[in-house]
Amino acid sequence: MMPASGKGVASVGKKAREPSKRGWAFAAAALVVVVVLELGLERMIPDSSIRQLLMLAACNVLVALSLNVINGMAGQFSIGHAGFVGLGAYTSAVVSAHLHEAMGGGEVTFAKSFVVVPIALLASAVVAGTFGYLVGLPSLRLKGDYLAIVTLGFAEIFRLLIATAQLGEKETIGEAAAKIGKDGVVGPFFHMLQVGITSLGGQNGYAGPKNQGLPLYAGPFWVFGLALVLGVLAYRLKFSGWGRALRALREDEIAAAAVGVDPTRYKVRSFVIAAVGAGIAGGLMAMNRDGTPTVQPDNYNFQASFDAITMVILGGSGSVTGAAIGGVLITFTVKAIEAVQSTRVVQDLKSSVPWLDLNALRMMLYAAVLIALMIWRPEGLLGERELFQKQKLRPLKLPKPSPDHPKPDEPDRAPAAAANEPAKPVVAAADEPAKSDGDEPEKGAPP
Amino acid sequence: MSDLVLEGVSKSFGGLRAVADVSFSVKAGRIFGLIGPNGAGKTTVFNLVTGVYKHDVGSIRFGSTNLLPLAPAKVAEVGIARTFQNIRLFTQLTVLENLLVACELQKRAHLAAAFFRTKVHYEDEELMHHRAMELLEVFGLQDAADEPSTSLPYGNQRRLEIARAMMLKPKLLLLDEPAAGMNYGEAEGLKTQIRWLRDKFDLTVVLVEHNMQVVMGVCEEIHVLDHGETIAHGTPAEVQNHPKVLAAYLGGDDDDDDDDEAGKAPPGAEAKKTGPASTATAKDAGSEP
Amino acid sequence: MVAVPDNQAAGASRARLLRLGAMALGLLLFIYVARSVGPQKLGETLVTGLTQGAMIALVALGYTMVYGVLKLINFAHSEVFMMGAYVGVFVLGAIGIANPLLSFVCTIVVAIIGSSLLGITVERIAYRPLRGRGRGALVRVTPLVTALGVSVLLQNAAQLFFSARYRSYPQLITGSMDIPGVGPVGKSRVIILVVAVLVMIGLELIVKKTWFGKAMRALSSNEEAARLMGVRTSWVISSTFALGSSLAAVGAVLFCIDQSSVYPTMGTAIGTRAFVAAVLGGIGSIPGAMLGGLLLGVLGELVKLSSYSGSIDAPVFVVLIAVLLVRPAGLLGSNRAEKV
Repeated sequence: MMPASGKGVASVGKKAREPSKRGWAFAAAALVVVVVLELGLERMIPDSSIRQLLMLAACNVLVALSLNVINGMAGQFSIGHAGFVGLGAYTSAVVSAHLHEAMGGGEVTFAKSFVVVPIALLASAVVAGTFGYLVGLPSLRLKGDYLAIVTLGFAEIFRLLIATAQLGEKETIGEAAAKIGKDGVVGPFFHMLQVGITSLGGQNGYAGPKNQGLPLYAGPFWVFGLALVLGVLAYRLKFSGWGRALRALREDEIAAAAVGVDPTRYKVRSFVIAAVGAGIAGGLMAMNRDGTPTVQPDNYNFQASFDAITMVILGGSGSVTGAAIGGVLITFTVKAIEAVQSTRVVQDLKSSVPWLDLNALRMMLYAAVLIALMIWRPEGLLGERELFQKQKLRPLKLPKPSPDHPKPDEPDRAPAAAANEPAKPVVAAADEPAKSDGDEPEKGAPP
Repeated sequence: MSDLVLEGVSKSFGGLRAVADVSFSVKAGRIFGLIGPNGAGKTTVFNLVTGVYKHDVGSIRFGSTNLLPLAPAKVAEVGIARTFQNIRLFTQLTVLENLLVACELQKRAHLAAAFFRTKVHYEDEELMHHRAMELLEVFGLQDAADEPSTSLPYGNQRRLEIARAMMLKPKLLLLDEPAAGMNYGEAEGLKTQIRWLRDKFDLTVVLVEHNMQVVMGVCEEIHVLDHGETIAHGTPAEVQNHPKVLAAYLGGDDDDDDDDEAGKAPPGAEAKKTGPASTATAKDAGSEP
Repeated sequence: MVAVPDNQAAGASRARLLRLGAMALGLLLFIYVARSVGPQKLGETLVTGLTQGAMIALVALGYTMVYGVLKLINFAHSEVFMMGAYVGVFVLGAIGIANPLLSFVCTIVVAIIGSSLLGITVERIAYRPLRGRGRGALVRVTPLVTALGVSVLLQNAAQLFFSARYRSYPQLITGSMDIPGVGPVGKSRVIILVVAVLVMIGLELIVKKTWFGKAMRALSSNEEAARLMGVRTSWVISSTFALGSSLAAVGAVLFCIDQSSVYPTMGTAIGTRAFVAAVLGGIGSIPGAMLGGLLLGVLGELVKLSSYSGSIDAPVFVVLIAVLLVRPAGLLGSNRAEKV
């Protein structure tokens, strides 16, 4: 029976995979585009702040896409996503800086980035993913609201640990390390941990082992390329059985479990996927070629998590393209307000109206928009729809299995053959009760 | 084939003993009825079997598998599917998608396959679509496949729930009041359908139902609970005339017409229907009063 | 049959064992700290901790009561607290501190009124439209997002209108008094502790003895049934917001007397801790919030004794996550199973 079904499926399968030829063409075109961007973006856009904005937008799209997996698809509520982004950023910063040193320092080149970026991002993904697993694990026991609290707690712990671990006056890391074990209350392990965290630069941020600034390896090739690739993966995740199961889980956990969708496994995995995505986004942010050569704990505070939530909700929770739109929109408004803030007019205005804090105004505006959305359009701009939703989950009319390859012993086929008979009494009620005249389903194979 | 065996199962909620020392076994291939007045603990038994609740004492086995330590999803993996008393469909998913969710366990393609769209992924999806559409045809829902599941009329929602359960390829199907809200004709159809499903898929069916027309017409063995305790067990005929059962039902105020129905409705309607049906139903017909 | 009690007893004894173990562990830790700091310092630490804890508990109560009736984590509560503090500052600035007691009472009363109005307004505008939406995917997330939004909105409004600078609070109560066995303690601390305890007793009376308290508890255990029994749910919810906000206002004024500065992000700083206290004690449980608040207060002061120099919020969150993993519903909370 297997060969028969294999054959049957192969014929449909070929049809289903047809678009993937176009997919290859698309991938090739995308590759060309990102390489061109890598080599020519400086010439195309001489203003580095605009370049930085574009790349930041791509990174934020990744943040939104990954948060969308938890908040949108799985229906969990994480309010500490910036923690994962920060973990990724710090990991990539440390790894890339040390790799750069190990390779002898020098110029940051496109060729070298093929060594540094994959390794750094892999490290980010692994670290963030591990923590995602650890944070997701409580979802074994915690429902909705409590899970949100755990994520918030995690992000805050991460940020506070880094931000408050500062070296004493003129103390070097070596001196701090020498004190290990001498300090009564805190054990050596914690002390080591503290020293390790302290080496990340505390509130001032991390700028490489010798504080000379991070090597910025992630050019447009990596940033836009990965944004595209991960975007496609997010899309595929949504339109797969896996995404469907997540949606079902979001609707009704008990019913989903009753049909074999293990809530714990799916939730924890969605957490890990989201964390990995956030870690990669963070890594790209840290290594962003046109970004600042430091990573700072305050970039990953609660406001950043809130921004991420806004991106997802604004675009439409559960929608991949929606999250991407949200990411771009939020990035641009942040920057637009920063730009407005530095203009002459506003500077003048500020000198006469000292309390005018445009950032506060921006946050108020976001919050107001968010509240209004929740009241009038809780599903966001796109809802769960996609901008380019041509991918139907299934051909509208299923092709009937052709009679030229009958599959008499195929178990999945038989019910349909016999289906008409028992189905009729259901529809046509009881007046023709046992019209199951053809009631030998065994030989009810296609004529 | 595996039997479902409950031995001395008890479950308390706080001070309330919802199920008290209940034992019965369901032979593989049987259509088994679990009845009793409201609050008798029938649904609780289902919840215990499917792992939604953990029982305090006793054992529940399915074949050689001990169900006690298993979470609901694992119980589904063992081959036990159920429907719910209050319909629990995935409301924002379409009719077809509701079915597709239920075949995650049978997929060969895993997460990576979905990411990279391997051949296995497409094959799986196609296969599952085929199966889902076939099941929808069985239940006469094929034309609504792309409708949101909430747009279905009530009876069809119940049918969809059964179809979704069948998607698991279960060995044991637990139906929690499948005929609730169905009219006479629909209930008759349901009877035929349950029998057909059992014969076709080698199922064991356990049925919690208030509609005596369905229970007496389709069950081969009946277990009666009242206040969590067993009060009777036997063939429909035996149970119908059991004094404790009569007391339990007639003691309640509004259940007596059920009994009437049970006494009157099935024999005539049933004999006609089960007669020409498939061979396995001969047994039922024999057991009819 | 006989085995049922046995089984239940087994579960109960395991829980008791767990509780005993936790208590023993806490005691050991406490003794360890006590020995390393000495009794004098310890007494001081405890009083400070309890004072802090009492204020935290006042704010935590607001979180817990709103959660009780609406099943909503009202993230905006911390901003109501902050606004209460600002109202206090403005009132004190207006009436001066010539008569400390009168000023204190006036400040508290006006702060209560202001905060209650704010709480009710927030509920009316942001939360009420969301109520009564049926089951579904977004129903759980929507209120949380709204609450977050309100919180961010209020905080930034404060930043915009009151500016981000720290405002100092006039010293209302000065001097210290001697408490036997502990030594000299700031008078303000004692007053804070006394007022906080009185307010909590008052709350307990309201919740247990009045019709409103009964309605609130009824609403929190089953909204549908409460409504059918003639409880005006909207009114009770508004009143709950008002009551919770009043407690936050009292907490805010007390906090300002103790810490003597007011700033827009104080809601996040203190509110987060209060929120953690509510969750720790079991959100929805009123005694739980009190217990959680006191525990956190003492814990915070104890942490300050150690060589750990970082922010106290990090260990607070660690404790919270640890407790949630062992008792998912918090210390005194109850876990209700969903009916299938």
